Amino acid sequence: MKNLKIILCLFTCVITQAISAQEVKFGKVTEAELKQEVYEKDSSAVAAVLYRNKSIRFEYKQSIGFQLVTYVHERVKIYKPEGFEYATVAEQLYKEDSDKETISGLKAFTYNLENGQVKKHKLSKESEFRTKLNEYYSEEKFTMPNVKVGSIVEYEYQIYSPFYWSIDEIEMQYDIPIKYQEVSIKTPEYFVFQPTMKGYLPLNPQKGTEGGTITFTDKQRTGKYTTTTTYSNSKLNYMINVTNYTMHNVPALKQEPYVNNMDNYRSAILYELQYTKFPQSPIKSYTTTWEKVVKTIYENRSFGGQLAQKRYFKEALQNLVGDKTDDIEKAAAIFQFVQSHMNWNGMVGFYAEKGVKKAYEDRSGNIADINLMLTTMLSEAGLEANPVLISTRDHGVPMFPTRKGFNYVVASVSLNNNIVLLDASNKYTKPNVLPIHALNWYGKLVKKDGSFSTVSVMPKRVSKENSNCTVSVDQDGLISGRMRKTYTDFKAYEFRNKFNGIEENSYLEKLESSHVGMEIGEYGVKNNNVVGKSVMENMDFALEGQVAMVGDKMYFNPLLSSTINENPFKLKERNYPVDYAYPWEQKMVINISIPEGYKVETLPEDIKLGLPNKAASFIYKVVAQDNTIQVLADLKMNTAIIPAVDYPDLKELYKKIVEKEAEKVVLSKITADGSQETPAGSR
Amino acid sequence: MRLLLVFTTLFLVYFCSAQERDYQAFLLDKDLVENANAVVRLDEMRIHLEARNKMVYTVRQVVTVLNKLGNRYANPRVFYDGDKKIKHIEAYVYNKMGKEIEHIKKRDFSDISAADGISLYIDDRLLTYSYTPVQYPYTMEFSYEVETSDTGLFPPWYFLSGYLASVERSHYEITYATNDLKPIIKEHNLGGFSIEKEERAGRIVYTGHKLPAVKSEAHSPDYGSLAPKLSVRLTHFHYKGFDGDVDDWNQLGSWVNNSLLKGRTELSEATKNLARNLVKGIEDDLEKAKVIYKYVQNNTRYISVQIGIGGFRPISAIEVDRVKYGDCKGLSNYTKALLEAVNVESYYTVVEAGSRKVDFKEDFADLRQGNHVILAIPYKDRYYWIDCTSQIHPFGFVGDFTDDRKVLVVKPEGGELVSTVAYNNEQNHQLTRAQFNVLENGEISGEVTITTKGIQYDNRFSLEEKSVDNISKHYKDYWGEVNNLNVHGYKFDNDREEILFTEVVEVSAKNYASLSGERVLFAPNAFNKSTYVPQRYRNRKLPLEIQRGFLDEDIFEITIPNGYKVEALPDNVSLETRFGTYTMELDYDSETNALTYKRSFFLKKGTHPKEEYTNYRNFRKKIASADKAQAVIIKADL
Repeated sequence: MKNLKIILCLFTCVITQAISAQEVKFGKVTEAELKQEVYEKDSSAVAAVLYRNKSIRFEYKQSIGFQLVTYVHERVKIYKPEGFEYATVAEQLYKEDSDKETISGLKAFTYNLENGQVKKHKLSKESEFRTKLNEYYSEEKFTMPNVKVGSIVEYEYQIYSPFYWSIDEIEMQYDIPIKYQEVSIKTPEYFVFQPTMKGYLPLNPQKGTEGGTITFTDKQRTGKYTTTTTYSNSKLNYMINVTNYTMHNVPALKQEPYVNNMDNYRSAILYELQYTKFPQSPIKSYTTTWEKVVKTIYENRSFGGQLAQKRYFKEALQNLVGDKTDDIEKAAAIFQFVQSHMNWNGMVGFYAEKGVKKAYEDRSGNIADINLMLTTMLSEAGLEANPVLISTRDHGVPMFPTRKGFNYVVASVSLNNNIVLLDASNKYTKPNVLPIHALNWYGKLVKKDGSFSTVSVMPKRVSKENSNCTVSVDQDGLISGRMRKTYTDFKAYEFRNKFNGIEENSYLEKLESSHVGMEIGEYGVKNNNVVGKSVMENMDFALEGQVAMVGDKMYFNPLLSSTINENPFKLKERNYPVDYAYPWEQKMVINISIPEGYKVETLPEDIKLGLPNKAASFIYKVVAQDNTIQVLADLKMNTAIIPAVDYPDLKELYKKIVEKEAEKVVLSKITADGSQETPAGSR
Repeated sequence: MRLLLVFTTLFLVYFCSAQERDYQAFLLDKDLVENANAVVRLDEMRIHLEARNKMVYTVRQVVTVLNKLGNRYANPRVFYDGDKKIKHIEAYVYNKMGKEIEHIKKRDFSDISAADGISLYIDDRLLTYSYTPVQYPYTMEFSYEVETSDTGLFPPWYFLSGYLASVERSHYEITYATNDLKPIIKEHNLGGFSIEKEERAGRIVYTGHKLPAVKSEAHSPDYGSLAPKLSVRLTHFHYKGFDGDVDDWNQLGSWVNNSLLKGRTELSEATKNLARNLVKGIEDDLEKAKVIYKYVQNNTRYISVQIGIGGFRPISAIEVDRVKYGDCKGLSNYTKALLEAVNVESYYTVVEAGSRKVDFKEDFADLRQGNHVILAIPYKDRYYWIDCTSQIHPFGFVGDFTDDRKVLVVKPEGGELVSTVAYNNEQNHQLTRAQFNVLENGEISGEVTITTKGIQYDNRFSLEEKSVDNISKHYKDYWGEVNNLNVHGYKFDNDREEILFTEVVEVSAKNYASLSGERVLFAPNAFNKSTYVPQRYRNRKLPLEIQRGFLDEDIFEITIPNGYKVEALPDNVSLETRFGTYTMELDYDSETNALTYKRSFFLKKGTHPKEEYTNYRNFRKKIASADKAQAVIIKADL
């Protein structure tokens, strides 16, 4: 770039308009649009984008060099008061040292139909607000004047960014529908970007090229005693790569249950700079492959540099390892030490924030501080330990090589040829039980030589929540008894995080209110702080209102108050996988003694259900023997993620479970001679 | 007893002076640890009033945090703005042995916007530091000094700053340079706590010792009305560029009127004409007001922007007229201006809004009370209240946001405390009528008509503004007890004059009834089950409060399938308690093979001693059980 001695303000000039992009002109709002009362394709829309244009291009300026210019034009129709929020626009602007993003050329109007006339209202300067959020970001906000139900708001502005190597992800789908949108990206031949698309909507890029010209004036001074300044004009022609996306009727992205992170499924395009190639300059490569990404990260002082520091824990490590020879024992001791010694400050990241040494002294740090420390200690103890780069669930899934694809790091250790993942930032994790936020498909295991391998971070082992109840029903229909629950792996992790954060009484009060009619008497919990073991809960309880006494009969649900009574899946179809984070099983075994003088009249029938590929199973069994009824309900999800194609089956499975678990046991009174009483009849 | 108290006090004094900075966590008093996530070892504020527009205060808080839930009591942060400067700020962290482990200096604090999540823009900022605890317990010592020209919003003093934290020593001190700066202090709920007052010329000191932690309980009165605290105000104050001399609500009202509202209701001639045109041909003031209110509702929206005095003074009517948005102050003032243009009188009214009712204190006039503004329209010896931030509320109906509480009405001649309209007991009425069939396969289907009034109207009428998805979702939540609910259609009627909302909903639900051999079981109360049972307290400490009360009446006509007869029905229920009444009756007509279910549930507004809580819980338990009671029908022998 330094070879381009460009002095005057230059501009790239678009010679050909490959596609007539400006079909929709700013300000040409029609009466028909204003009259519309609902969005025709989606009557539930509170607002809709009628037209959107986002154009990204490069511009050259002296003293700054190339800049990224993003032009935004949106026309939004408001259908309901709930949609008023779309009349407020916010853009976050980034700043680093003296380089900063700026916004300019804001033009905005509200259009209303007043007495049959189209009236427009201009946004004034006083309605723009700038807030400094922190050292790096500020926020520019504006809200439109005269907005009411039926209004159309329209605005355009440009954002200038000196950070030309970083184009923000371009969203192609909003939380409200988009009727028509045009997105274009124009990159000079000097910049080679790789686009990656995500989401379920078809995106059809139209590719083409245009010519661009940089005209610049060169100032030269000559002469030894008297200086003469001469100006010369020269021109530089170059090629611009153009990609256009046009889309009609983009549906709103709607929230669904059991989704890892809705943004993972939002249609969007990400442009990543591969390399730059300026005239008479060598190619300057930016990250292109995972190898390079990993290498760049590894070579950073805040990553590899941290892994090289070993002195600070020397003494502690010696005490921990002592004369242990068993690898598993060593690993366990080190993990437990780091887990209890360190405290997570809530910040993620794969680069150490404080540096491992300082973090060790302070006993607190970010994810990298803690887990790089753990990795190094394991490694120093002679184990094969390596860091694993991860993207957290709310950070999305990295689909192509980029540093931005990661935001987290955990430790791995190879034990008996198995890779075990460790995260010491939470007090209740254990080997292969990472915090839920870290369970996001795959991670990259980075070796000391800079090479890497891809490892799955999704748990394979089924986490269990088992309940064992022994209860009796008395003559008045009151149920009382004992329950023992055990939680393993992730179920235990979640229980500990929940239970250990609140007072026991508050926990019990919540538990009681989630089971209507339940009163808990004696309560005990074991191993809630012993992470290596299953959590065990014991409680005495009484349950009211479960038994319907009608005439000489008792009706009750054999699962008492622990039924699944609602299907969590309501949508007809679904485009996204159901993501439970880990495989799980919920099993209940209940022994019910029935009151004296009663006998079992009807029991629900047994059932056995499943999903294809054994992804899930449900077993329900009720058996009566003498005066007891034995109930088993066992629901198991064998995989963490159920693909979207299996959604209809999963929904159907739940429907059947809900139906089955609604069925009741009927007891009837035995008369003195052992026969059944005749029905009391109607009153 | 007295001797012991003296001894304790002496000991504390000795303890504090001898071990100034030594905060060993294991020396904690057992009584202070009970129910506490944090123990405030010292909570100290020293205020010096130099002039009506110059006040300096220093704060020192030492908090021992016992567990992670206690972290919020050791949260070092201070708000500031253009008229409030932070002169000094620092914090120390000590481990449980009392050894210093961290020193946090001014430059370590982050300077961020005090964005409240509601406002579009707010110019308040805050200095904050986020500390990661490395062990429990630990002790945080936080101190700062602030200088401000604002003395109109005087810092109040809570001896106990919230639930689940106890206080070892609390010290509140005001010194004042001249007698006209002597503050007026109102004490609230100090009885029963070890709190002492000491006063001499130019100095007032309150100290509290050993205040045990309080636990929050459901259905108890608001914390603010139970907590020991002080309200403090100056008669001669300064606020954001304005002087005020106020001794009672009348004068405070005048000050608001003359300093903050003056000249704010000006409008352009064109807009005045527009207003006049709107009410053309209408004579009656109330009718005119309704038209103007409707105009404001249809043409404006709520946007909050808070800059400087803007926290108290409305943006001008001209500006709101131009952009058609504003906050509660701006929109109320704008409506007032439009009403003025058509010669209808209205008063700017300051209120403490929220579903919790909080009164303005009769004998204590200060700016701190109130968080919202509405308008009062006097008409034929009564006030009509309107909330100009709502696009949908009917004229004169304010709902549970500002109902039944004392508010400050600002009149040209001065302020006045008035109670807003109350919606209590049977005024909050709901009638549910339903006709539905129970089918052989367990499905039910039919039509439900719900009419609501009062606060029940308030909870419901916004449905008509909602999107199709949200309406369907609403019914699935509202009838959450009914599985597989399907909404086939609905119709709403909103009578804004009578404040009456009617919903007619067509529904069905598969497997509502359960099948058991020849029998079909179902709860006749399909559409208004009250299954809520207040949680049990092993040791209830606070009174029970029912803020408003309501009356629900239900009549369901239920048809059972041909070929079936009733085998058993739940018994009728009739409950009468101090909290309200409940009745349920079921009749079976064998001619038509139909059941008639009648239910009435009346809950009365009131406050009851804590001993009554269990009885209230039992009352609700019985209702929950009666509402779930099942009827059994059986296939008739052919």
